[in-house]
Amino acid sequence: MTIIQFTPFSSLVEPNFWHALTNLKIDVLRLSDESVPITGYYSPGRSIVDRETGNEIPLGCNINIPGDALTNDIQVPAHSVPASGLFKNYNTIEEFKEADKTALFNGLSQEIWDSIAKGSTASLNRFLLITFADLKKYKYFYWFSFPAFVSKPAWEVEDDWKPARTEFSDETLTEIHKLSSSRPSPFFLVRAIGEKTEIASVEEYGSFFKDVPLSSVHPSATPSNPGWPLRNLLTYLRHHHPSDVSQGLRILCWRDSEPSHNDQWKSRFGIAKVNGDATKEKPAAVGWEKNVQGKLGPRMADLAPMMDPTRHVLADQAV
Amino acid sequence: MHAIQVLKESKFKEHGRITPEEFVAAGDFLTYKFPVWSWEKGDAAKFRDYLPNDKQYLLTRGVPCLRRATALAYTDEDEDAERLLSFGDLSSTGNEADEWVETHAGRSTGLENGGAVGEIDEIPDVDDHGISGAMGGLSVSGNDEAEIPDMDEIPDMEEDLEGDDEATAAPKPPAVPPKSANSKATQESARSNLLAVRTYDVMITYDKYYQTPRIWLIGYDENRKPLIPTQIFEDVSADHAFKTVTIEAFPHSTTLQAASVHPCKHASVMKKVIERMNAGVEEAAALRKGSASGNSTPKEKQKKWLFRRASGNGKDDKNNNAAGGDEEVEGMRVDFYLVVFLKFIASIVPTIEVDSTASF
Repeated sequence: MTIIQFTPFSSLVEPNFWHALTNLKIDVLRLSDESVPITGYYSPGRSIVDRETGNEIPLGCNINIPGDALTNDIQVPAHSVPASGLFKNYNTIEEFKEADKTALFNGLSQEIWDSIAKGSTASLNRFLLITFADLKKYKYFYWFSFPAFVSKPAWEVEDDWKPARTEFSDETLTEIHKLSSSRPSPFFLVRAIGEKTEIASVEEYGSFFKDVPLSSVHPSATPSNPGWPLRNLLTYLRHHHPSDVSQGLRILCWRDSEPSHNDQWKSRFGIAKVNGDATKEKPAAVGWEKNVQGKLGPRMADLAPMMDPTRHVLADQAV
Repeated sequence: MHAIQVLKESKFKEHGRITPEEFVAAGDFLTYKFPVWSWEKGDAAKFRDYLPNDKQYLLTRGVPCLRRATALAYTDEDEDAERLLSFGDLSSTGNEADEWVETHAGRSTGLENGGAVGEIDEIPDVDDHGISGAMGGLSVSGNDEAEIPDMDEIPDMEEDLEGDDEATAAPKPPAVPPKSANSKATQESARSNLLAVRTYDVMITYDKYYQTPRIWLIGYDENRKPLIPTQIFEDVSADHAFKTVTIEAFPHSTTLQAASVHPCKHASVMKKVIERMNAGVEEAAALRKGSASGNSTPKEKQKKWLFRRASGNGKDDKNNNAAGGDEEVEGMRVDFYLVVFLKFIASIVPTIEVDSTASF
């Protein structure tokens, strides 16, 4: 048995988002620092074969914040699933520094916990983004948090994560790919009986579906580390189905956005288990994103080189 | 300045240029065959009326870039150089030193272009270029981190928890060596841990003036910080950095700036590539008819895929495969224009994996 280590989300903010924030700040928010809804998305973890060494290089476990993240109709790319959160922009660097991050974080983790207690998986991926935009200098300070509950004791996986192909037939995986592409969802149940494969929402676990593999879209491409979203899903299951949890849950980490060629499925399978009783209270949570130095702290995007008109001599010189 | 008319008549075989309709047809095919690509609307204020509102430009996100073009070194047995030169294989002449390949000498097979590595070394020498003056004030290194304020520490248990949470995977190294790996693989994994993997969002717009597609790049470093122009130029082959790649306003946004490959040579290059491919395929078809054998190599299969007289965006692959030796060859269809275009772009930005067709 190995302790499951989840790959944390890494934020990837598209420059378009900072442009949109600038406009929102000038035209709508002005001096308001009220929370605003935000939507990002994540995709099955990708890897790339390094042509020089032949090694498979996992790409980041990213959550993307696109240019339309602050609108109501965000365009989520194919095979990706949306995640919604709270966005809060501060007017001064001092307010940003002094923001009551603990209260913000606890508020959000409470929201996630309440949703779990109600039996819904809809809020498991809620996240928080706080920013300060230095509009004159095109500098954007930001800090994400992706609250995830800590399990005591920790979740373990039996015999490590294995290729999905060891558990499912090629036909079943092809069918899962088809079904999950037609209605992308962060989490789903899979039932394969004979040649018939079905998927359903996790909320149906325990009634219609029982003892079936649980599946979640995995933004992590590292073979032995499931992605961050599985953490809160497991918390949900432990809360609602404690006896199944102590016997082991069959988990499919879904990573195949393209149907497999030559039977090279990238998805992973494992049996996750935890002993002992879960608390009925809200467990502690973690999830502040670390900065470039690997420390808990904000990041900064400097867009001056690409946005500042005074720097655009460059474009004029071209051609 | 006189108004330039939108190209109406198909000229792609004669000039390498395409009409907006052909751009849409080629884009439809690209998004169908390679779903990593999608059509985008862009900013409504920037709509081009000669393109459908929901098909203004093409986008793919998160294209990996493992190494810097400036750090490439080639050997004779370099397989990926071979891949990028596959059009050379397709040509009837087999002469890989012709003009099209010359434009991307940095990715050539090596022997006659042994000097390419030396040329690449010239890139750090940016001070000779006028552009660098404009870049001088930019900080490339991480020293801007100093500007990030120290935040109040997150009090209470949270910080301790965050610090030593046993269930959080360490963010680095990104590549975990497979447990069953032999020692050689482990060594190489260790090496790959040092890769600074960048990613790019890649856009393809239709350039009305040059009547060709035009490619745009927005890059992120391994910490997902947006790349600044000098950093982007590290991923452009030596022949093109600072000459054909520039930073300009992205035409479908009111504010966004992006790196772009200037399209002034696209039409002539595309014309050559198409001619060579057509010649190669006609020859191969003649050979096939002559020998009437069904044992095609994988490479021939790829040619078939590109040149098949497919209809309906290639959805009837199977029927066409069945047609076998009787298939007629009519040269490259305009639907494939962007697939070929991306292979050409891959030679300008050799380490950015824009050519997703390579996996097929």
